[in-house]
Amino acid sequence: MKVSFFETVRYVPPRALPAEWPVPSGAYDPAAGAAAYQGMIERLEYVEALGFDWVSVSEHHYSPRILSPSPIVSAAFIAARLKKLTIALLGPIVPHSNPVRVAEELAMLDTMAQGRLVVGLLRGTANEAMTYDLNPQEARERTDEGMELILKAWTEPQPFGWQGRHFQYRTVSIWPRPLQQPHPPTYALGTSRESCEFAARHRLGCGVSYGPFEVMARATRYYREQCARHGWQPTAEQILYRANMLVAETDDEAHAVLRAQANQAPFTMRPAVRDAMMTLDARNIAGEARAPVVTGALPTTFVGSPDTVVEQVRRCRDVVGAGVLDLSLHTPGSADLAPLMRALELFGTKVLPRIREI
Amino acid sequence: MVTPTAFREGEVEAGGVRVRYLEAGQGMPLVHLQAAGTPGPTRAHELLGRRFRVVIVAVPDGPSSVDTLWHALTALSLDAVGLAADSSSAAAALRLALQAPERVRALVLEAPAALRPADRDADLARRLPGVATPTLILLGTRDDAVLAATGRSYKALIPGSHLVFVYEAGHAIGADRPEAFAEVVADFVERRDAFVISRAQTVIHP
Repeated sequence: MKVSFFETVRYVPPRALPAEWPVPSGAYDPAAGAAAYQGMIERLEYVEALGFDWVSVSEHHYSPRILSPSPIVSAAFIAARLKKLTIALLGPIVPHSNPVRVAEELAMLDTMAQGRLVVGLLRGTANEAMTYDLNPQEARERTDEGMELILKAWTEPQPFGWQGRHFQYRTVSIWPRPLQQPHPPTYALGTSRESCEFAARHRLGCGVSYGPFEVMARATRYYREQCARHGWQPTAEQILYRANMLVAETDDEAHAVLRAQANQAPFTMRPAVRDAMMTLDARNIAGEARAPVVTGALPTTFVGSPDTVVEQVRRCRDVVGAGVLDLSLHTPGSADLAPLMRALELFGTKVLPRIREI
Repeated sequence: MVTPTAFREGEVEAGGVRVRYLEAGQGMPLVHLQAAGTPGPTRAHELLGRRFRVVIVAVPDGPSSVDTLWHALTALSLDAVGLAADSSSAAAALRLALQAPERVRALVLEAPAALRPADRDADLARRLPGVATPTLILLGTRDDAVLAATGRSYKALIPGSHLVFVYEAGHAIGADRPEAFAEVVADFVERRDAFVISRAQTVIHP
């Protein structure tokens, strides 16, 4: 099992912040922002020393919760400061992006990081549609087309044009190309039928997140079936599971901490916006409709003492088939960093060495 | 609402061969050479017929197809045409551009088959560096018959040519993505190499 630390850039606000999304920019404190990025590097030095394989970064906007609107910038900063960790960019929100620009920047990053890049391409959480005015009903199609264009830009040796549905270019011919050939290990992130089929067709990995093992297994099973239909079999490492983990000295303590956490949506929306989003933002797990997560917290699927968590990881490996775990060890957005550091230490010393062979 | 373009059917004598054609629209002539038996006109032809004098010609494949094509264009008084050709008929279009460059102002090859490894036309491949006509190669991203590698080899061999992938089109690009096909063909036939310069307007509220 490979293990990735989901770095969520801890911004510690000097004053209490409004709960709604978007959070007013005026509430931002520049000194706290500078401290957050410096703290990120210090934390990742520890993460690297503990023996994690990867660090992952993600794209989120208009909020201090995960202070990384441009994950490519985060990844470049990390790549320059950390020497061993593989940087997993999970990932650029493709439907927002100029896919050719994404291909160029990721190729630069892979080259600058001397091939330490892993890429996850995704459609984005429901609220992200409201950044950059993306029509949620077009998000899926734009994602699929953008992903295909990124792969084409990485691999096509001749200058080419692209006559798409949502994107059109007359001339594409990127420099540099990725250091890892034909391109960095890449995942299509998401549980949807479309995402699994895309990954299978293009021989990419599949990344699922947060849901219970059995539910995520429906997506990874569908992905493997589609891969077989396309005449290939993914490796364990091509199945990635991002999850929340709450590890404590004892099971009782872990469950007590979990109960004390507020069951709050990561991004609070006004009810009318939330309801409209539920209607417009169609999502599915391997073809079965599911609502976007706009109410309640994301589930925590690993909870307990080191022994318990090791067993849960074993079950996850068996049920989901994941060969890479991308872990958030403490609620993103929390200003209290002490529990995160305790969890990191506990996980790094008591869990990580025991799940390598799973 | 635009009224559908009405295509007239006709037949000409072309060097001893009867050649059927369909024609509609006015303006710059755009000849669409189709493999025999390909049904037409399609929605793509209708869209092109709003901007060009579109003449759809089916010429039997074979070593004399280029002569038949030459005679057909002469009989129809078509002098300097935009010439689009699909699949197996691309070879005849390329030969015409090589033999009579003055008659072809722009060439569009749709999923051209002649350089496929299985049935590679070595003589034609040798002559491609001599194509002086501005040339656009179109390939569908879902084409299982002509793969990207084949499209790429045209691009590599024809000086200054352009390769454009039509997203989610199979081998029949015009049938699969008629609007996308008609837009790029029209832009290229009108502006030739300068079609790489965007004229898309992005003003939202002037």
